[in-house]
Amino acid sequence: MPRTEPAERFRPVLRAGNARFSREAAQRPILVFEDVFKSYRQGTPVLRGMNLVIERGEFVFVTGPSGSGKSTILRLLYRGETVDDGRILFLGRDVARLRADAVPFLRRNLGIVFQDFKLVPSWSAFENVAVALEVLGLPQRLIRARVGEALERVGLAGRGEDVAGVLSGGEQQRVAIARAIVGEPALILADEPTGNLDPQLAIDILGLFEEINENGTTVLFATHDRTLLEVRPRRVVVLDEGKAIDVPHGVATEEYENRLPL
Amino acid sequence: MISVSTTRRAHRGMVREWRLHALSIFSLAVAFVCLGSALLVVTNLHAVQERWAHAGRASVYLKEGATQDDVDALRAALARVPGVNAVRYVSSGEARVEFGQRELDANSVLAALPVEAFPASIELDVAPDMPDADLTDMVGKMKALPSVDDVETYQSWTERLARLVRGGVAASALLAVVVLAAVLAVVGSTMRLALQRRRTEVEVLKLVGATDGFVKKPFVIEGSLQGALGAAAAIALLALLFFLVRGRLDGELASLIGIEPAFLPWEVALGMIGLGAVLGATAALASLRKMVAI
Repeated sequence: MPRTEPAERFRPVLRAGNARFSREAAQRPILVFEDVFKSYRQGTPVLRGMNLVIERGEFVFVTGPSGSGKSTILRLLYRGETVDDGRILFLGRDVARLRADAVPFLRRNLGIVFQDFKLVPSWSAFENVAVALEVLGLPQRLIRARVGEALERVGLAGRGEDVAGVLSGGEQQRVAIARAIVGEPALILADEPTGNLDPQLAIDILGLFEEINENGTTVLFATHDRTLLEVRPRRVVVLDEGKAIDVPHGVATEEYENRLPL
Repeated sequence: MISVSTTRRAHRGMVREWRLHALSIFSLAVAFVCLGSALLVVTNLHAVQERWAHAGRASVYLKEGATQDDVDALRAALARVPGVNAVRYVSSGEARVEFGQRELDANSVLAALPVEAFPASIELDVAPDMPDADLTDMVGKMKALPSVDDVETYQSWTERLARLVRGGVAASALLAVVVLAAVLAVVGSTMRLALQRRRTEVEVLKLVGATDGFVKKPFVIEGSLQGALGAAAAIALLALLFFLVRGRLDGELASLIGIEPAFLPWEVALGMIGLGAVLGATAALASLRKMVAI
């Protein structure tokens, strides 16, 4: 029998301090950045007191020029990095204050998609997606069913046995998205997921994220590709000088026009 | 508990990196052959010691001037000693004949030795379970008798063999330390290389929420299997060489050392495989300690 790990250990909203359901906590924003500071080198901070609130079910573009901190805020969220100061509340729990052994349980509540796909090239598409469920210790029968569904959702039905390394860029990104959604996480983090794809494929992939969002999953989509921002009106957050500036529904007003990436 | 996923990942890792693992197993086998050889020597030395420690014989050599009355009195006294099963007098002439039958068939120089070169003796058949202290006591008393020249009990031989066995055990312990170092180095290097090649896999696992234990387990299984297979290969190689050599020298060896040479007992062989598995797992864990921190 596969080991069943305590997959729901990180469920701070529903289990805040005790095992009882908290309606108030459940209605809080899914993600809050409060005065977040982060620098990799002394004297050159990437984030300088950044504040941002993301509600449940939102689709938010995070944009800004290279080096503005788009990837940094995602790394801070999945605890690839830790904040220098401030708080990041995910489902009401301060991510920076999680113990190291709780980090895997935080990541099980996130789906992460990268520009370089981060697939194991020698594994099949199925294996690359299934790994997200194997860490939860789910039975193989359930894993097979759910991975099949996830691959179908991203348009790769019947391609599970294909080796990931020989798939096209667009197909590899679809596998990565299937891996991100198969565990039904609360939040999807996409770090330049269309950066390696041609424009048409990029729009297709964006469409996939929108479908995922329509099913209730919150999506945080970091990109510097302005064309994607203009495809559909969405909330756009621009990172500029270490702070987040909200551009509601993607309406690039004159005030913010010059802050958007070229 | 080891899940299906863990064993599958370990199996997949070993199959995909089979050249690396085969090289590692070969290196470990070489190290274990050294340990196994030492244990084989110790095992057989111990058996020889046991054989001669319980030879059940003692020879009481008489002085040239010993009279028949002295001999009769001595035989009667020895026959009453507890643990002495039989007493037999061998005259100089009989000793000369017995020696000639055994050793001198084709050797004219030794055959020409005079009868005086073979002292008369009383041969004792001693019970194999006679305590060493009693035997030593009996020897001391007999040596004090005026008609007795010397007493040979094979104790000096068994003591020498015991010293050899102790030396062999010490050498084996030293070799075990060498093997430990070899296993740590070989498995550690293999794991570091395997981890480097599978860095993306580890990174992906960590990003989807795998605990350190989940990431490490397949590598630990691989290390453990390498150690066990290395030890098993060494035992197989030793067994092949042992039976090959024994097949050619069987008669000579048995007559020389008094026993049939034996291969490692199965408990020792299994122990070596177990030791390999434990050392391999430990080495893998040690080398992975810092490397999965992504």
